[in-house]
Amino acid sequence: MSLWQRLLNIDRRWIYAVLALVVIGPLLFPFSIKPKPSPPVERLFNYIDTMPVDKALVISVDFTPDTQAELLPMVIAMLRHAFATGHKVGVLTMDVYGLGLARDALAQVSAEFNAHATSHDDSVINGEDYVFWGWTTPLVTVMLGMGERITKVFPIDYYGNRTESLPITRELRNYEDVGILVTCAASAIPRSWINYAQVQFDVKVGCGITAVSAADFYPYLNSGQFTGMLAGMRGAAEYEEMVETKMIELGKNWRLRRKGTEAMSSQTAAHMAIMFFIIAGNIAFIVTRRKKR
Amino acid sequence: MQRRIPLLLVLVVGLFGAIAAFIPHRAIRTPDEILRNDVLRILTAFSLVLGVGSIVRHHIIRITRRVEHWPFSWVTLIALAITAVIGVLGGIDPAKPGLLATKVGSFSFHIDNVYRYIMSPLAATMFSMLAFFMASAAYRAFRARNLESTLLLLAAFVMMLGAVPLGRIIHPRLPAFAEWVLSVPNTASKRGILFGVELGILATSLKIILGIERGWLGGGGSR
Repeated sequence: MSLWQRLLNIDRRWIYAVLALVVIGPLLFPFSIKPKPSPPVERLFNYIDTMPVDKALVISVDFTPDTQAELLPMVIAMLRHAFATGHKVGVLTMDVYGLGLARDALAQVSAEFNAHATSHDDSVINGEDYVFWGWTTPLVTVMLGMGERITKVFPIDYYGNRTESLPITRELRNYEDVGILVTCAASAIPRSWINYAQVQFDVKVGCGITAVSAADFYPYLNSGQFTGMLAGMRGAAEYEEMVETKMIELGKNWRLRRKGTEAMSSQTAAHMAIMFFIIAGNIAFIVTRRKKR
Repeated sequence: MQRRIPLLLVLVVGLFGAIAAFIPHRAIRTPDEILRNDVLRILTAFSLVLGVGSIVRHHIIRITRRVEHWPFSWVTLIALAITAVIGVLGGIDPAKPGLLATKVGSFSFHIDNVYRYIMSPLAATMFSMLAFFMASAAYRAFRARNLESTLLLLAAFVMMLGAVPLGRIIHPRLPAFAEWVLSVPNTASKRGILFGVELGILATSLKIILGIERGWLGGGGSR
């Protein structure tokens, strides 16, 4: 068997081994590549950035732990952005497995801000600056019900507080008080947010989705039904870059960890390895085909 | 009669659901809100019971019939039972234990830890494995056999390079070109598919509401 034929019939375990090396290597020894924001990311960032302060950002954590590497950095970056610009934040989840992810993201970002706070005004406080409504089902009840009265859909928050008694509720009653709702999902849930929230209540909707599902949501982005979109690790890294620049502008140069940006070196190496394999496979394919002729 | 009542219910509720989206009058809106906020939630709660019952029944049948990989059904049933007991009796907040003490010495098996240290890594592992399968599949499938496959190969290359910052270093316009591929040719084809899918959903929904499609009743297909 010639070298080319051997290359064509390579054992898949070699491919797995090389891919494991190129994924793990850059995670241990990262190389820095500064991400440049793409138009859909810029649109979402600019909308949140210029939103009136009395309008809230609502984040729906509609993903499960399997896709957290791609989607959780987006949630964390958006929370940092909203808190840095003084917007109120409401967080909910459409998937019960998203509860722990949303709770941890809120705990992490509120702790980051509170560690640098010097007064009550620049602290981030549960019930005043943000509310974590938690999870309830079915989604059509939640998405339509939030347009009428959020406290009716979520009578108690994740921590067991009555939502009617929270100070933030006075400023965040229904979609009219929402500047934008961003759904982070690895499923078709963003489509439901368009059908039930954007179309029926005219609320602005953005999305954060996995790279593999990005192509499915471009028609909604182009029609303007999605105000902006973060697609995959790259979208997360680009948003993190914009938030970092904004926070430096606001005098909050805290050098916070950016997991999306950190993982980009690993993703770049993995893409390069896959492309190398494809090129090598094609060369072997063409050479062996010519020899057969 | 056994079939007529469910069919009549579907007809009334289905038509009402459609009408409620177009008529915002209180006479329509109030019952619509009750249906959505109360009735739908109660039905969803029932579906949870149905789901658990279905999974238990399915795996018990697998175990009794000793079908291929039947021992894994035990894993599913035991994991389901343990998680349910911890979740229901152990409380939600680790600081406030429920009926079941979820801490032995420094070892905590609270539902939060089950989620954080078992469920979360297992789910992430399953998803991560996709990258390996995709790499292997890409190596074998992306071959320039003819014009169509060569175009597919080139599109894959553009998208992979466009998805990482390195693409910009190779050529400054590469990310913009990848964005164009997604925004224009991809959107055009996706829209066509979406129209087809949505029309299909509409037709199927109408068939169900009008009682033409009866597969959901069990034991039969269309009339």
